[in-house]
Amino acid sequence: MSDSTVPAPRKRWRPGMRKDQIAGYVFLIFLLLYALIPMAWMLSTSFKTQFAALQQPPRWIPTHPTIAQYKLLLSPFNDVGRDFLRYLLNSLWVSTATTVLGVAVAVPAAYAFSRFRFPGRNALFFTVLVRNMFPLVVFLIPLFILMKNLHLVNTHWSLILTYLTFGLPLSIWLLKGFYDNIPPQLEQAARIDGATRFQAFWLIVMPLSSPGIIATAIYAFIQAWNEYVYALTFLNNNKLLTLPVGLQRFFAEYSTNWPGLMAASFIMSVPVVVLFLLLQKHFVRALTEGAVKT
Amino acid sequence: MSTIPLATESTSPLEPNDQDRTSPRPRKRNLLLQIKDHWADYMYIMPALLVMVLVIGYPLFYTVYLSFFDTPPSTGGRVFNGIDNFTTILQSERFWMITKNTFYWTVFSTLIAFILGFGAALVIQREFFGRSIARGILLIPWVISYVAAAYVWRWIYHSDYGLLGGMLMEWGITDQRLILLDSTRWVMPSLIVANVWKEFPFVMIMLLAGLQTVPDQLMRAARVDGANSWNQFVHVTVPHLKNVIVITLLLLFVTNLNSFGLVWIMTGGGPANASQLWIIEIYTLAFRSLRFGLASAFSVILFIFMLGIGFFYVKALTAGDNERGRA
Repeated sequence: MSDSTVPAPRKRWRPGMRKDQIAGYVFLIFLLLYALIPMAWMLSTSFKTQFAALQQPPRWIPTHPTIAQYKLLLSPFNDVGRDFLRYLLNSLWVSTATTVLGVAVAVPAAYAFSRFRFPGRNALFFTVLVRNMFPLVVFLIPLFILMKNLHLVNTHWSLILTYLTFGLPLSIWLLKGFYDNIPPQLEQAARIDGATRFQAFWLIVMPLSSPGIIATAIYAFIQAWNEYVYALTFLNNNKLLTLPVGLQRFFAEYSTNWPGLMAASFIMSVPVVVLFLLLQKHFVRALTEGAVKT
Repeated sequence: MSTIPLATESTSPLEPNDQDRTSPRPRKRNLLLQIKDHWADYMYIMPALLVMVLVIGYPLFYTVYLSFFDTPPSTGGRVFNGIDNFTTILQSERFWMITKNTFYWTVFSTLIAFILGFGAALVIQREFFGRSIARGILLIPWVISYVAAAYVWRWIYHSDYGLLGGMLMEWGITDQRLILLDSTRWVMPSLIVANVWKEFPFVMIMLLAGLQTVPDQLMRAARVDGANSWNQFVHVTVPHLKNVIVITLLLLFVTNLNSFGLVWIMTGGGPANASQLWIIEIYTLAFRSLRFGLASAFSVILFIFMLGIGFFYVKALTAGDNERGRA
């Protein structure tokens, strides 16, 4: 509007910019401390002896660091370690099965929603999205009864089936964004060369959408690895527990062993944190191209 | 190309766009024939559909059904009792107390996590040395389990040996034991700090993804027009991100409304019900008191509330498409 005042705001803008850059860095440091302190404290405590953990004032660097708790948890030759390793394996199995089956179900569905124009397509896709809104705990009671009737209570399949379904809406949503970005001409060319519709999908589209599939898979894995309420409700056999519920069981028994609890929490966090940090770029990209594209 | 094709696709029976109105649509003829033509398409979505009907559809109807029955835990049977469950809940003082807690928890968790997360996205979006490491660190709380988070924070807040109390004492800020989770006054703020810690990275990652879609030309144009960074933010960034913001806020709100693990492990709803939330009440009613009918009715109330929010969610999702359709 006011072209006569162009130089003036430029002058005011420069120092202003620097000021919010400084404010930005201060804010960033605050956030980094907020994010890191609990994790660092978890790690620090896990290397302390039980006695040292109760010392006041609290010390960040343990005077006599020990890996006794890690040894205890990861050794199959004592009761605690045996239980913990079993929880770990259970979690690994449930999360992996959920991820593999979830991707296998989500990929064709997302592809169909992206490519085909069948009656009811919008209504169905809409239902898939609305699922995001519904509280998981609302489903807890009827699902428990359903699983009981299907004789799945106290099996890992009850969890796998539940996690896989609850993860579907987001997976389909993210993947559809990816398929929308792959030009259909590529498949058409393959069809002309004699490929069936399924071959065109499997040989052309699948490889191109692998970043989306990786992002979806990580998300499904992390969700399954961390889930607590359903695991708490569907399983009550100590041999079948997954890590989150197992951790709670551990706390109930050794409630004053904070180093042990922190070590267990840390071991439980390592796989998902590493997995996510390695693949976070895919995840951000999947969100950019899928979920939030405007 | 749109991500959420509710309105822009010409196949939408709800909102035909302008082009459709000029050309008659022959596809409405016979639904059955069309379905028959497309039968192969349905094979792709069939597995997803089947598990969703089983794990989401059926339980939904069953909850509503069960909410009209009295299920005395002693006999294990069920007796139809109309809307008694609902009136029992809505007339109890306890319900309104829990509702107050739930809203306090949900609203403050959502707002604080949103503000911190949005700020984080704006800061992290700039290029600087160590940016991807900083982003990785900020995402860690979101990735770890609520159970691990709950125990760490419980340990930090511990009234005798906790980090927070110990530090405050060492720095001479207080010389008394810091009682947080056992105090009716401080339990909620303490829980919210732990919850925000877990959630702000989600906001950050959503908005970071959103920020990447803001065209550079727009920002540059605004700068040429003399906008300072605050003006740029208010007049360019926020309007452009409107949909992402609304969706993120709604998802956060719903997540908090349904948040169970953190509060359950840290306080179990105590002390003296000061942190009792809807979700925890439903869980306790069903799996501790074994009053499935009552718990189902409670779920239905929550569910109706969710439907209201869901309405806004869908409106937010489709709003973007309508604007895009017109542009």
